[in-house]
Amino acid sequence: MEEVGNRSNQTNPAAGGSAPRTVLGSSADGTAPALGRLLSRPGFSRLLILAVMFAITAVLQQNFFEPRAVVRNINAFAPLILMTMGQAVVILSGGIDLSAGTALSLLTCVLTTVMRKGDPVTGVYALLVTFVVALATGAINGVGLGYLRIPPVIVTFATSFMWLGIALFLRPTPGGETVDWFKVFYNPASVGGMPGWARAAGAYLPPALVLVLVGCVLWLVIRRMRTGRYIYAVGSNSESAYESGINTARVQMSASIINSLFIFLTALFFVGQNQSGDARMGDPLTLRAIAAAVVGGIALSGGRGSVFYALVGALILSFVNKIIFFANFPNAYQTLFSGVIIIVAIAGSQLSTLVERKAS
Amino acid sequence: MSTVVNRPAAGVARALGAGKKYIIAFGLIVLLFVLGELTVSNFLSLGQFLLTIKLASFIALFALCQMIVIAAGGSGLDLSVGYTATMTAVLTAAIMDGQTSNLWIAVLVALGIGLVVGLLNGLLTAYVRLPPLVVTLAMANILQGVINVYTAGRNITGRPAPVLQIIAAKSTGIFPNILFILLIVAPIVMVLLYRTQLGLRLFGAGSNETAAYLSGVDVKRVRCAAFVISGVLASLIGLLLLGNMGIAFKDMGSNYVMPSIAAVVVGGVSMAGGDGNYLGVILGAVFLQTLTNLLVALGWGDAGKWLGFGIVLFILLIVYVSNRRGR
Repeated sequence: MEEVGNRSNQTNPAAGGSAPRTVLGSSADGTAPALGRLLSRPGFSRLLILAVMFAITAVLQQNFFEPRAVVRNINAFAPLILMTMGQAVVILSGGIDLSAGTALSLLTCVLTTVMRKGDPVTGVYALLVTFVVALATGAINGVGLGYLRIPPVIVTFATSFMWLGIALFLRPTPGGETVDWFKVFYNPASVGGMPGWARAAGAYLPPALVLVLVGCVLWLVIRRMRTGRYIYAVGSNSESAYESGINTARVQMSASIINSLFIFLTALFFVGQNQSGDARMGDPLTLRAIAAAVVGGIALSGGRGSVFYALVGALILSFVNKIIFFANFPNAYQTLFSGVIIIVAIAGSQLSTLVERKAS
Repeated sequence: MSTVVNRPAAGVARALGAGKKYIIAFGLIVLLFVLGELTVSNFLSLGQFLLTIKLASFIALFALCQMIVIAAGGSGLDLSVGYTATMTAVLTAAIMDGQTSNLWIAVLVALGIGLVVGLLNGLLTAYVRLPPLVVTLAMANILQGVINVYTAGRNITGRPAPVLQIIAAKSTGIFPNILFILLIVAPIVMVLLYRTQLGLRLFGAGSNETAAYLSGVDVKRVRCAAFVISGVLASLIGLLLLGNMGIAFKDMGSNYVMPSIAAVVVGGVSMAGGDGNYLGVILGAVFLQTLTNLLVALGWGDAGKWLGFGIVLFILLIVYVSNRRGR
């Protein structure tokens, strides 16, 4: 896993082009004691927080390690993880995607509109159509962010309402139908006529985990490609990236489309799980994903952080939510708490970054 | 004042002055009315027009919050205005309980809510340096959460003071009273922004942060103050919304957030900050309300409204804001 050193990138913003891998050990100049060095690595503190959250949850949830509970937790965490990874890619490239949640809603609506319950082949059509729609949403955002250079916040705010409008046209109220085999994205064992080996595989490897792994592999591959490095370069300093000959518009377009692929994966899981589409279901995920990315150390100014630590951020937020759930507060408090957690989480991350910067 | 010098001229509108942006906004409104008259019978009538003006006034008032925050720069936007207004309406409805004598308490509560929300937004964005959008979106969530908690165990009771109903819902002759509020607010805003130190500092912080800082403007404080003003205004608008609706409900303000931002863009205000022409914003609000009416009349409902707003905003961003690089 790469961890982009905050400091070195900051002292030398122009080095963005080759940032991801060159700076791995740069903060460790050998003078500080080993433990201090380890603790001062931003990634380590996040893993530590995650471990603590993990431990608390394990203590609170009695059957935490039973296979069923593990699968249930993975199912509960996967959507946020996927959305956060996608969002992280966009933020790394110097953008932000406020339309991610509504894009997710739109995709669930498209899936459930194309599919017909009794006709298994419509599931394939739905996958193809939705994939194209996902790419289109990413491309439109990419044009606005990259080619037209409209401020990311405001352009994705505008597109979020376009997606919402289309989703409401397709599905004014939650519902719709799906083919039976679509449950394979949630629980293969519940699909009729599934071969035995697939059921067995599903029991050990929940589809939600598979989708997350697909996302991880996707990013691993892209990071090794030129696009991956360019995303960091454009995010940390668009002007100098442009001047060194990088087609910044195309890079931001790519980041946007990569994000839409993550959103597509999330939509598959949701429709597999709920068997329905809903034009409003994705809304809360936008902000939570942004917050999770920040908790995972993605700098909102772009170009700094790691997508895999964003995943850690999503896990931390998920565990925090779970711990609060155990505190057994009334349902009405849910929105309030999630809002407060988000503010505290991003403010805390930002303050710790500011302090770190001052210290160096 | 409103010329944007720090960005290369690229868009069509960039070359046009503010006056021409008025003409564009005005032309768009006329275009909509013509379209409406062609497609929907009886779209262009005095009653319809006055109703449009009335509903647009609320958008325009919310848009004032946005305009001030946007003008202060730092990619400011306030997505919490809707729930700030809702919270004020929900809480003060019970306090007023239809009695004018309780109005002053309601106003104090409204000011308090606005102050706290605005200050939190301002501190987190200006001093902790978090992106305004993320902060205010989270703030909206928190306020929604507070409203949920408040309404969990009880019904939302109470009615606005009659005075508020007269101001916000009733008409004098054919003119809705809220229009007069706007006619009072607009000149005051224009004078404050263009003729006072306050406006100068606000635009200075927005248009060129460094220059403003070097000439002794405390940019952080100005931006924080912009959020406080926005919060207080939004809270007071909540009182008017309550007056208009007669009752308070959980989502009464949230549908105004998108139009309030769109109105600022339609009004030709630079999203980069340092600029703010309220008259254009009012035209923008009228345009958006007319668009809503047209889409509703065509039977496209909510879906059409949000899609229409999204597309209009996107297109206007391309025309006004985009900053293409010639390669």
